[in-house]
Amino acid sequence: MKSFQTKIFDFFQKHDVENFIGVPDSTLKEFISYGLKKKKIIVTTREEEAIGIASGMCLSGSNSLVFMQNAGFANSLSTITSLVELYKIPIIFLIGWRGYLKDDAPEHSMIGKIQPDLLKIIELPTKTLSSNNWKKSCEWAIKKIQNNASCALIVKREFYD
Amino acid sequence: MIRKEVMKIVLDHIDSQPIISANGFISRDLFELKEKNSNFYMIGSMGLASSIGLGVALKNPRKRIYVFDGDGNILMNLGSLVTIGYMRPKNIIHIIFDNQSHESTGGQPTASNKIEISKFGKICNFKTFVVSNTKSLKNCLRQIKKINQSIMIVIKISKSNIQSQRVSLEPEFIKNRFMDSLNEKK
Repeated sequence: MKSFQTKIFDFFQKHDVENFIGVPDSTLKEFISYGLKKKKIIVTTREEEAIGIASGMCLSGSNSLVFMQNAGFANSLSTITSLVELYKIPIIFLIGWRGYLKDDAPEHSMIGKIQPDLLKIIELPTKTLSSNNWKKSCEWAIKKIQNNASCALIVKREFYD
Repeated sequence: MIRKEVMKIVLDHIDSQPIISANGFISRDLFELKEKNSNFYMIGSMGLASSIGLGVALKNPRKRIYVFDGDGNILMNLGSLVTIGYMRPKNIIHIIFDNQSHESTGGQPTASNKIEISKFGKICNFKTFVVSNTKSLKNCLRQIKKINQSIMIVIKISKSNIQSQRVSLEPEFIKNRFMDSLNEKK
């Protein structure tokens, strides 16, 4: 069965998202592996760097998505506020939600807990994806970037490894 | 040599090509010396000028993209050199004004007096130049016109007391006209 993560990738490609840039996250591995197979992924050294590259591509009129784990989202707060939001650069963020399950690894528990509030505080509009609602949420994300706004899509970590 | 003086020399060799300038005094100097639509003044997001430059370069292979960076700025984001070296754009010219200090925040030292930044450039597939006087800078700027790979020029300068005015344009305005300038045919 095709997972909804690969369907998301196809959906965005179909809707003119041309660049998929980020730092790998095991929660998003199906999305990333699928994109790698298609040779459509740029893996960067840090999340801020990915946002910088995506911004340069957006400035060139080419739609971009940046993927990362929520640990990387925490790294990126200053870049999101002082580049993406300041200049109104339309980027779709795809973020893996570690620490969603109470008994996830301990290093994820604090960021997992405060992530929804952080997103609200920095005023980044957000939707959480599931296998049922993903399409609606992705359509919403496309509308956002068409209106020059950035937004975040969240994938919950619902498995252990 | 001080930054504003050498930046002027560099700008004499740049016509309407896009420039992405690092936050702090570098963007301020550019704003005073050569205000133009194809300047992207990165007033926030410290360290990321070369990453934005890479994104622009990859999407505009027929334009030469200049990045005006500082030693403090690039040392915050050395990973960017790795990614540029991996992607190998032929149209990025990464100019690093190296005064061995964070001049914008009060002149605190960086490590670039002991660690030579151009060596990172070399292992990351840049054609690298280090220049420390105006004659070799001018020579280098002539030479790079014929080079078809990522280029890094580290310009050794001293600290200065000259302070340019702040970039007084709205960020969204900077973005919109920069985007328009990329669309213009040349």
